[in-house]
Amino acid sequence: MLRYRQMTFFAFFVSMLLFLSSCTAPASPGEPSATQEAAPVVTWYYYDQDNTDPEANERIGNFYLAETIPQFNEEFAGRYRWVNVPRDYNLVLDLVAAVQTNGDIPDVMRTGAVDLPTFLLNNTVQDLTDYVKGAAWYADLDPKAVEACTAPDGKIYCVPVSESPYLVYFWTEMYPDGFPTTTDAFLAKAAELKAADKYALTYWGSTAFDGEGAGRYFYQVISSFGGSYDDGQGNMRLNTPENIAAVEFMREIVANGYSPEAAFVGNFEEEASFKDGLAGAFPTGFYVGYQYLNPLKSPSGQEFNTISAQDMEDAVNAGVMGLVPIFAPEGGTPGCHMDVFGFVIPNGAKNVEGAKAYIDWIMQKDRAVQWVLRAGGGVPVASSVREDAAFQTEIFKQAAAALGASDCKPWYGSLNRIPEAKKIITETMFDLLKGNPNADIAAALAAAEAEYNSSN
Amino acid sequence: MNQTQKPLRISVGRWLPFWVLLPAMLIIAAIQLYPTIYTILLSLQQIEPGTGRFVFVGVRNFERLLGSVAFVRSLVHTVVFLLGYVVLTLSASFAIALLLRQRLRFTPLYITLLFVPWVISDVVAGAVWRLFVVPDYGLFSPFFANPTLFGEPNGISILTTVPPNQFSPRIPLPPAPALLFLVVASAWKILPFTTLLILGALQTVAQEVQESARIDGASNLQLLRHIILPLIRPMLAVTLFYLILGGINGVGMVFSLTGGGPGTSTEVLSYLLYSIGFSKLDFGLAGALSVFIAMLNFGLIALTLRLSAAYEEH
Repeated sequence: MLRYRQMTFFAFFVSMLLFLSSCTAPASPGEPSATQEAAPVVTWYYYDQDNTDPEANERIGNFYLAETIPQFNEEFAGRYRWVNVPRDYNLVLDLVAAVQTNGDIPDVMRTGAVDLPTFLLNNTVQDLTDYVKGAAWYADLDPKAVEACTAPDGKIYCVPVSESPYLVYFWTEMYPDGFPTTTDAFLAKAAELKAADKYALTYWGSTAFDGEGAGRYFYQVISSFGGSYDDGQGNMRLNTPENIAAVEFMREIVANGYSPEAAFVGNFEEEASFKDGLAGAFPTGFYVGYQYLNPLKSPSGQEFNTISAQDMEDAVNAGVMGLVPIFAPEGGTPGCHMDVFGFVIPNGAKNVEGAKAYIDWIMQKDRAVQWVLRAGGGVPVASSVREDAAFQTEIFKQAAAALGASDCKPWYGSLNRIPEAKKIITETMFDLLKGNPNADIAAALAAAEAEYNSSN
Repeated sequence: MNQTQKPLRISVGRWLPFWVLLPAMLIIAAIQLYPTIYTILLSLQQIEPGTGRFVFVGVRNFERLLGSVAFVRSLVHTVVFLLGYVVLTLSASFAIALLLRQRLRFTPLYITLLFVPWVISDVVAGAVWRLFVVPDYGLFSPFFANPTLFGEPNGISILTTVPPNQFSPRIPLPPAPALLFLVVASAWKILPFTTLLILGALQTVAQEVQESARIDGASNLQLLRHIILPLIRPMLAVTLFYLILGGINGVGMVFSLTGGGPGTSTEVLSYLLYSIGFSKLDFGLAGALSVFIAMLNFGLIALTLRLSAAYEEH
């Protein structure tokens, strides 16, 4: 009987072992055996090198990784091996959570400077000051981009590779005399277009994606009126004469029907009327417009249909699409938000030296060109890279001119609780423009800033 | 020999159920008990700015939660949604089940068609319903834009209209059209399941009992009220639990149909939880809201059970 009991226990434990072993993740086919010497350099992108779908949303980045991972591995054979872990768009949260729980932390991650305050608040990323300042490519970088990667403590926490200003894409067929440079001229033209059953512009007016709209059209208009979201000391400051004037102007656009109802829907519905040539202009990021606004159909019916960034290039080259700064009140300077894209090295990264080798590899001129065009977006922050022929095309020239004519700054200024700030701002703006268009602007802006500042 | 064998047999027999259940208990402990305890602990902590460390703050997260406009607003949205969802689904399911019980000519076909919404994922269903009402090209947009039916000057746009005269930011009543539309879409999605539950229950009501009632002169309404409803009450209670739990915790349709908008008009508690935890990265506050939602679930279910028991006693 004792033997029977032992057999029972033995059978039970064997079953448990089998069960537990079936729960472990199978080894990825790309993973090498432990005997290989090359140390992995783990990256996080929201691109997937194994996704070969030519119509995938992130196809450009997917193909970039599929092509460059083998190149890196060949160049660093025996030393480093690039292992990319594809993530969804929530990779900022994932990184914060991974560092806090000491989970699977990448060695290097593609990110935007807009995420830096969140990382600093949660102690997620490493100080890279000495590394960046000691790098051969440092002197070549746009100081504004380096500033965007610099925390209030003066330390550099990210490596900037590209920057993407927010500007206006417009159909030249609807604005044959050029896009208006002043707010008054814009309103006059908008009335003309409205009479012709066209929308003067469309924009991100919704609260979708937890307030992503804060840095887009709202900030472009507010900053063009000389306003901002903060007081430079980490407090939200919305109730200012400049901001109130900007809101009044935006209200006029909505009240007169110069923009489509879909501007307030979210889920990128606002793009449709511009891509179909029904709305004449679309204020957005250079990167966003270049990468995602396709296919295109001009107001006269001309189609650009490769479903890639090529469509926008073709439309610009054909002269039916133009890129300009947003309008400003008479005598004002157009404002805009500046996205800066690059890399962070998280706290807890296992292969910091490999991460730095990876960044140095990307910062080489030819590599940087490819990264900016296919994985980063925008225009290069290194002047030598910006001189490359790839960035001398018409679309890049127009983007550079728009950038030069605008006063571009990160929308969040000195605010450090970015997710909270952007949600409060977009909810307030939506309410003032759409939800409650007769509400007192000053009171609503004061209430919003009080809500944010109560946690300071 | 017999003296040594007997206690062993008893021992194996006594402990065998424990050993058999142990793997399942371990798995449940790992995937349910641990996260529950962790969430409760999280609700009592907050991230220290700059260091990223969790520090104990007592009930401060609960104070922040109860004092926030977003929480009260979302609670009101949840109550409106839940009421509409439960009432609409239960009444529609009951009506359809009664019709299907009549053994009409194409009943199997109707049942098959009825199943369609249930096999579609929340995200797909939400996206389809969204397409119905997207301004400019949605199938039903022109209907809702009719000023005669829905008010001057341009009717309503489901995805963008917010009632202008709401009670206050904390009490967003009357609800936005988007919230009512969400109720209809969510009810449509769950309708097949609840209809089948009720249909199954209806089919267990003995024909003889109903015939006896009719011989005694009971009208249709009396038959329904005094015979059918009491007999299928246990299944109605199960359906009600299911709807309450799904209504409070479901977030898929909100994501794909309205994204919480327009503005914050459809931001229900489960959506707020996602937003606080996964967008604002305020894990402590999200933990507090999770605990609140769990308590709300328990409370509503306990109330339903109590009412059901009281009704039975009566």
